[in-house]
Amino acid sequence: MATTYIIKDDEKTRKWKTPHGELYIIKDRCKGCGFCIEFCPKKVLVESKEFNAKGYHPPELQEDETKKCINCGFCAMICPEFAIFSEADAQSKDVGQIPEKEIPIPESPKIPEIKKARDVLTGEHFWNGDVAAAEGAIAAGCKFFAGYPITPSTEVAEHIAERMPQIGGVYVQMEDEIASIAAVLGAAWAGVKAMTATSGPGFSLMQENIGLGAMTETPCLIINVQRGGPSTGLPTLVAQSDVMQAKWGTHGDHEIIALAPNSPQECFDLTIECFNLAYKYRTPVVLLMDESVGHMTERVVVPEKSKIKLVDRKKPKGEPGKVKIYEADEDLVPPMPYAGEGYNIHMTGLTHDERGYPSTIAETQERMIKRICDKIRVHADEIVRYEEFMTEDAEVVVVAYGITSRVVKRAVLMAREKGIKAGMLRLITIWPFPEKKVRELAKKVKNFLVVEINYGQIVLEVERCACPSKVSFLGKMGGAVHTPEEVLKKMMEVCK
Amino acid sequence: MTMHEVEENPLDVYLRADRMPHIWCSGCGLGIVTGAFIRAIQKSKVDPKLVSVVAGIGCTGRIPGYLNFDTFHTTHGRAIPFAIGLKIAKPELHVFVISGDGDLFAIGGNHIIHAARRNVNITVICVNNFNYGMTGGQVGPTTPEDARTTTTPYGNIEPAFNLPYVMASAGAVYVARWTTLQPRKILDSILEAMQKDGFSFIEIISPCPTAYGRRNAQRDAMETMKFYQYKTKVKNGADPKEGDISLTGEILTGKFVDIQKTTYMDRVKMLIDKANKKGA
Ligand SMILES: Cc1ncc(C[n+]2csc(CCOP(=O)(O)OP(=O)(O)O)c2C)c(N)n1
Ligand code: SF4
Repeated sequence: MATTYIIKDDEKTRKWKTPHGELYIIKDRCKGCGFCIEFCPKKVLVESKEFNAKGYHPPELQEDETKKCINCGFCAMICPEFAIFSEADAQSKDVGQIPEKEIPIPESPKIPEIKKARDVLTGEHFWNGDVAAAEGAIAAGCKFFAGYPITPSTEVAEHIAERMPQIGGVYVQMEDEIASIAAVLGAAWAGVKAMTATSGPGFSLMQENIGLGAMTETPCLIINVQRGGPSTGLPTLVAQSDVMQAKWGTHGDHEIIALAPNSPQECFDLTIECFNLAYKYRTPVVLLMDESVGHMTERVVVPEKSKIKLVDRKKPKGEPGKVKIYEADEDLVPPMPYAGEGYNIHMTGLTHDERGYPSTIAETQERMIKRICDKIRVHADEIVRYEEFMTEDAEVVVVAYGITSRVVKRAVLMAREKGIKAGMLRLITIWPFPEKKVRELAKKVKNFLVVEINYGQIVLEVERCACPSKVSFLGKMGGAVHTPEEVLKKMMEVCK
Repeated sequence: MTMHEVEENPLDVYLRADRMPHIWCSGCGLGIVTGAFIRAIQKSKVDPKLVSVVAGIGCTGRIPGYLNFDTFHTTHGRAIPFAIGLKIAKPELHVFVISGDGDLFAIGGNHIIHAARRNVNITVICVNNFNYGMTGGQVGPTTPEDARTTTTPYGNIEPAFNLPYVMASAGAVYVARWTTLQPRKILDSILEAMQKDGFSFIEIISPCPTAYGRRNAQRDAMETMKFYQYKTKVKNGADPKEGDISLTGEILTGKFVDIQKTTYMDRVKMLIDKANKKGA
């Protein structure tokens, strides 16, 4: 416990007159910087011979006939240790203590709790993917959205802007995407489920702070409704070309979780799942939609509130002030303290130790970065989700995700009619990549075909895992979805 | 024998003593700023649990790391939006941003003007050392014309930002500027800023002997401080327009703006009330 200075001895506290009343020197507070002596306009202060409790020579007044203190009080104003006081400041007996006045600090109005907020709209709806994702987030308990409009993700923002105030949440339209993701991280540390939604160019702008989120283990959701690129590309048309950006967009080693829905219903369901994963593993999670899924309108069934399973953060168990806030449990995930709970959090994007203190030692980097990556790698089996379609006896397995998987499903059925034993592996989890499943399939399937709307991204992962099977690729530069006929034609080529 | 007791420093509770020594150069003004800040918190009597300090990157950005509150060291330039998220999500927090002039007005320039425009209830303390200290003294948006830095070896050709003027025009409700030779003023000003409901801004002009001073005819920190002593003019209520700083001219300090406006949090609350009345 800290104690205040108690100066019991008047000799230790010299005083002299100034226009502001008497000046006191609290000698033991002096740290010997010499500012008062150096800057005294009249040069009447000198270093005393004696030492103070800290081992410095505090100043004292030494007047001679030519140099007299004019009581200007400059020394009191510039002393960085506040060791020289005027009378006004030192009315109390404890001259060392800053006088205690009640200072009215305004309290910002709290965000009102909405009783009976309609956060889960149980029932059947006809929503597009963007709206369904927005509703999924609200159902997951999201109360903070910061974003910057960009097609084709704008409907998420627009819908949330209307819904948030109804449930006592906040929609902030920031000045850009960098600010949006930074605000999301801030809100997450304040203890609120927070998200943003964007598309290619905005996603690029967010990358540095997605890295900050990974490094500081901040749970949050980033929806990326993919459009054609690079650069501003095709604002209103589909692509699946941010897959690698989602994984490797930010610098440094890290892991990310990314899920790809293929229907408005899944946009709803997987958004809730994303929040759960974010809180379970303390990490930013990306919902990797594409323009077609985002803009496709279908039936969405919203379950009852009690049927929605939500995962919350792990709370620190120890007393505030005693816990090391980055000490992970056995599952490699540290419990998360929030701002204002008394844990004296230090959050930094610098490599930090278990206390949160920055460290420039290679061992700390080794230990911390490895853990941040491993907490996801080790749990990959729990995180990974996929859907198999007619793969049991398949001779060719088409790998697809997002909107493409719907086309491929049709193509697989067409192929079966033609007697080709085709099947599909639909990736729901893109990152971590469902490596195990692909390896397992590769043991019995000779031919893989990867169909995606880009010039070769996930195909690289499949090639890596499907060895020694043959992996073929059917890409598209964006702007349109493959036709089932195109896929069928390629399948036939592959099977030849 | 005379008797006196000096026990633990009453300010130690506000510092992470186990992180000392700090990384700053001797003569740097950041220690003075840190001292004034923790004294202001002590004097304000706010619950330290509810104090959050956010910083960007730079020498100044390291201040929160030494403070024993909830502290956040974010990416370069993004302290303000992070702080906004923190404040909006938990309005009972007292949110401060302490960062450098380069961090807040170069890379983060867009964020700070919009935060002031929105009148988000946070207090921003900008330490201006006229250059980028941490990266070794490059030119920045506050470097005076003709000043020499590592990237302006022939003298700076760009005009400098007058920070109080920028902030006043963007809509801040409290704007002040001091130098590190006025720590008592800094303390008072931080206390005043805390009492403002809305976006408050304090610029603190600080010596950087290592990266800036020695290239600009200030051989050591003391010379920079002497320069401040002779050049500083205190003029409370002055028009911030007059606050341009040149290499050798006067430094106008004081409290320039102190007004009241509806804050962002007030508006959020009104919006939520409105949306729910309409819904009912
Ligand atoms: C995106 C990014 N760009 C550049 C840097 C390198 N950088 C680190 S600190 C800094 C400047 C800091 O200057 P200022 O804000 O004035 O703070 P000071 O160090 O002078 O206190 C820069 C450019 C960075 N960390 N991140
Ligand atoms: S470089 Fe300048 S600002 Fe940074 S610690 Fe040294 S003196 Fe201070």
